[in-house]
Formats: sequence, structure tokens, C-alpha cells
Amino acid sequence: MLKRADMKRADIGAGIGLIILGTWIFWYSDAYRKVVVYIYGPNFFPQILSTLMVLCGVTLVVRAMRGKALAKRDRIDRQGFVRTVIAIGICIGYLYLMQVIGFAMGTSVFLFVLMTFLGQQGLMKRVISSIVTSLAVWAMFRYFLVIPLPTGMFDFTF
Amino acid sequence: MDFGFLYHAFGTVMLNPMNFFFVFIGLTAGIMVGALPGLTATMGCALLIPFTFGLPPVQGLLMLLGIFCGGIYGGSISAILIRIPGTPSAAATLLDGYPLCQKGMGGKAIGMSTVASFMGGTTGALVMTFLSPQIARVGLRFGPPEFFALAIFGLGMIITISGRSLLKGIISCLFGLLITTIGFDPLSGVPRFTFGSRDLLGGVTFIPALIGLFGYAQVFRNIEKMQIVPAVKAKVENILPTLKEIRSVLKTIFKSALMGTFIGSIPGTGCDIAAFVAYGEAKRTSKHPEKFGTGILEGVAAPEAANNGATGGAMIPMLTLGVPGDAVTAVLLGALTLHGLQPGPLLFRDHLDVIYPIFAGMIMAQFILLIVGLSGAKFFAKTINIDRKILTPIIFFLCVVGSYAMRFSFFDVGVSMIIGIIAYFMEYYEYPASPILLALILGPMAEGNLRRSLIISRGDPLTFFKRPISATFIVMAIIIMITSYYRIKKAMEKEA
Repeated sequence: MLKRADMKRADIGAGIGLIILGTWIFWYSDAYRKVVVYIYGPNFFPQILSTLMVLCGVTLVVRAMRGKALAKRDRIDRQGFVRTVIAIGICIGYLYLMQVIGFAMGTSVFLFVLMTFLGQQGLMKRVISSIVTSLAVWAMFRYFLVIPLPTGMFDFTF
Repeated sequence: MDFGFLYHAFGTVMLNPMNFFFVFIGLTAGIMVGALPGLTATMGCALLIPFTFGLPPVQGLLMLLGIFCGGIYGGSISAILIRIPGTPSAAATLLDGYPLCQKGMGGKAIGMSTVASFMGGTTGALVMTFLSPQIARVGLRFGPPEFFALAIFGLGMIITISGRSLLKGIISCLFGLLITTIGFDPLSGVPRFTFGSRDLLGGVTFIPALIGLFGYAQVFRNIEKMQIVPAVKAKVENILPTLKEIRSVLKTIFKSALMGTFIGSIPGTGCDIAAFVAYGEAKRTSKHPEKFGTGILEGVAAPEAANNGATGGAMIPMLTLGVPGDAVTAVLLGALTLHGLQPGPLLFRDHLDVIYPIFAGMIMAQFILLIVGLSGAKFFAKTINIDRKILTPIIFFLCVVGSYAMRFSFFDVGVSMIIGIIAYFMEYYEYPASPILLALILGPMAEGNLRRSLIISRGDPLTFFKRPISATFIVMAIIIMITSYYRIKKAMEKEA
């Protein structure tokens, strides 16, 4: 079991966030009331949900303040978290790259870079698995499922 | 039950080799996904749905059913060989499976798991085939109050079984319901919470949201932890159980299979609960309960028959009432919708050409599972050793492709990734993801039918209690919520 205090802080933060979000949704969706004539209009369900959200937020804060927050079972590993953020960054870069150099090439680069970043050692393993995977999925989408994928500047090939 | 249709469906499914091919592909992929710790059947189905887009509905669904059945079975392989359940539903299997492996009987345990999965799966599929049309007939009499009450019951069930906190389960559910309100209002057509974005007019698309919840979130966790999964050292040999061994556990298998089918058919429960309940029951009624946990074949057969029986059971409410039995069937429900089919009683009236091949395909999948499972056990055991540093980037990439392929939209990839990031943090703070998934499915059903009921009854909220079926569902949901509150409270006090 990990620290209960961590969870207490998180619960209070989440509870306050829910109260603010719920109040805002209630206020925002009230504008939909004027759009249609009947009582149970587009605002009805979001306003019920937002009311429940505020109630849950208040309960979460009260329970946390009374020391009833759950004990954390697992905590985020700082080093691992940084690794995850960098991996997401690599993926965002890939989404842009794919539109420039095409799906198959962009994917090969992405897979190779990510495998290298995660510490995969064998160069040939990285090269082969990234190229084979990207080409296999590209071929399946293009010829079997007939789903268009970004071609980038090489639209005559991939 | 129309036997003519079923007979015809068997002919259609069996005579087309492509159907065999897609079930085979689905099963093999499912077993591999199930066998790899950190990947679940839900994730497997979510990632492979885009690969069914271009297929005819029946073939696409058969492939997904294969993944479902294979995924649930595959979890037992790693549970037995490395003491890490590949899927949560195999957690009960390791109790006796791993001790059997330590005794040098890993192959035998996998063989028994395959046979029990086959028998359990077949029982579940048969019950599904014969019971579903009857339930759908009752479902045809449902009006808006009944459907609203049913949605509340389904959501109530999933909240009570997922996570250690009822409150956080409710918050997850509200979050999911809120997502469903984005886009055009189903009754008036007014766009809601779109903030001027054309991409949001149709709402948050189900597949990207699903991949975010169960794909990206898991990938982020895997990258963060970069867990080293122990390599399989045990030899997988003597797989085929003898007739004597099968006969000795036959009673347990059938009892567990029926129990699993029943538990699986309760909306919001699922295969993992079925497996634990069946294991407990097998131990309770055994002549030698002290041997459970020391490595006996009965301890492997009971949970495996139950969790595979639950696959058929979980399909019943999904197909007949449009309420998924668990997270995987929620994904399958989404897949049906993508293929232009709306699960629920009307499916049994308007699409018999799809329903009966699903029944036939589910039964056929069990036989293919038996053959693939027994003949490929050594291969599947080896897949556990696949390097995570190669596998994780590939799954990351499949998440990107899967979320893009639905509408060819990078916007969807972004939405999916954001949902994945939120789900990644939610898990650490004990907010379960399953209620969000179910809320995404049941949200539109709950909202539409709530408003319709109130409009028809001129605003009388008691309308839900004036009709016996809706009153029963709501009262059951309330009772279950109250009892689980006390159960969780008691468990927390014990933990403290």
C-alpha cells in the first residue's frame, strides 16, 4: 500500500474540478433550453448529469477531508512517466511526418525510432520488424480493406 | 427458435471457406493477445475492429467473435506457464495451473484448459443460440421506460463490480455519459458541446474513444513500467488430456460452464467473475477441497469452462436487448453498429440473415479453438517471449491506425490519444475505465428513452415504477448498489 495522503490530495483536487466542471456544464447547457419548445429538451440530460457530477464532487471532497480516501496501490514511476511523455511526443511527430513522407515510410521511421528509444538492442531486429510491420499494415489497408492512407509527397508509391 | 434458419446458417457459414479463415485468424490473434500479459481481449477486439471495416458484416463479426473467444482462452496459457494471467479472467486459472506447471505438467494443464474452454464455450454458445430469440421476443414488448430502466441496470451493475470505490465508479460513468452528449441531440437535432468544431458534430466517435480507453492507456502504462515478463522456461509437452482425465472433471466442467453462462448473461458482470465463482463452487463441492491450489486438473477446468461459458452468456443481453454483458461485448456491440446493425430485439426481427450466422459461427469457433489450441499450444507459449520493446511500439502504431481508419481523421487520433491520457491517469487514482465504455454504449439509449418516457407520460417520473419490468430493473439496480456499497465498505475496513 502506498501513501493515503497522495490520494487525499488527488481526491480533493478531482472533487473541486468536478464541482467546477459540473457547474459550468449546467450553466452552458442552459442555453439549449431556449432552442426548442418542449421541457425535456437538449439541456435536460446534461443538466441532470452535471448536477450528479457536482454532488459526486462534493462527496469526494468531504470523504477525502474526513480521511476516507483510498490508499494508493500503485504510483507513477517518475522516470517511466518521462519516457511515456517522450513516446507521446515521438507519436505526435510521426503524425506530422506521415503526412509529409507518406504512411508506410513514416510508420517505418516511427517504429524504428520508438524501438530504439525503448532500448531495443539488435539493429537488424529493429529495421526488419519496423519495415515489415508498416508494409504489412499498409498493404492490408490499401489492397484488402481499400482504406485510403496518407500518401504524402510520394503519392505515386506509398 | 427457428431451426430452419439455424440449419441454413450453418450451411452458409460452413460452406464458405472464407468464414473459416476469418474465425481462424480471429482466434489465433485472440489467443496471442490473450496469452501476452498486459494485452486484454477487449484491447484485441478494439484494435482489430478497423481490420473488419471492409468485410461483409458476418465475416467481420465472426473474426471479432474469434478474437473474443480466443482472447479469453489465451489468458490461461501465461497464467499456467509464468504465473501471470494474460487476461483478468484467467486469474483463477493460475491457482492450480501454475502449481501443475511446477510439477512438470504445464502441457497437460494447457490441454485441460483447452478442452474445458471448448466445452464451456460450446455450452455458452448453445444456450445463447436457443435462449436469445426467446428473450428478444420479450424485448419486443419493451417501451422507452423499460429501455431506460435496463440502461440504468446495466450501468449500475458495471459500477458495482469495477474498482474499489463505488463513488469513483459513478464518476467514471458520469464522465462517459457526458461524452455521449457531445454532438447532435438525438431528439431535437441541436448540436451540443461542439464549440464550433465540425468534427464534433457527429459526437465523439466510438472506436477512437474505445481505443483511447483500452489501447493507448495500456500502451502508456506499458511504456512507463516497461515490465520484464519472465520468459517461459517450462516445457510444453504431453498436451492432450486422456479420456480418463477428461471423464474425472466432466461434471465440474458442465456445472461451471452453465454457471459461467448464467453469470456472463447478467449485464455488467463478465468472464472474470464467472471464473472465480466457478472455481469457488468446484472447491466447495469437491470431495477433496484441500487439494485445490496444489495443482489439480479440476482447478484448471472449472474456471476455464466458466469463463468461456460466459462468452456466450455475455452475448445474450448484447444481442437481444442491446445491453452488453461486459467490456468485450460492449466493443462487439460497437462493431455491430459500425456494420449498420442495431443490437436489440429488432435485430431478431429484421436481420435474421446476420443473427443466425453469428450463432452458427460462435459454435463453429469453439471447434476451431479446440483444434488451434491443442495443435498450437507450443507456438502460443513461445509468443509470451516476444520482446516488449518491439511489441509495444507495434501496438502503439495499431492504436494510431485504428483511431484514424474509422473516418480517415487525424482529429480522431488526437481525441483518442487525449482519452488515453485521461484513462492512464484515471487508473492510478482508482477510477475504473469499464463504466466509461458501457456509458458510451448505453448513454444515448438512456437519454433518448428517459426523455421519450417523460414526454409520453407528461412529465410523470413515476412512469418508470408503474410498469412492472422497468420497476423491477430499477429496484434491482438500487438494491445491487446498496449491497455493493456495504460490501466495498467492509472490504475497505478489512484492508485498512
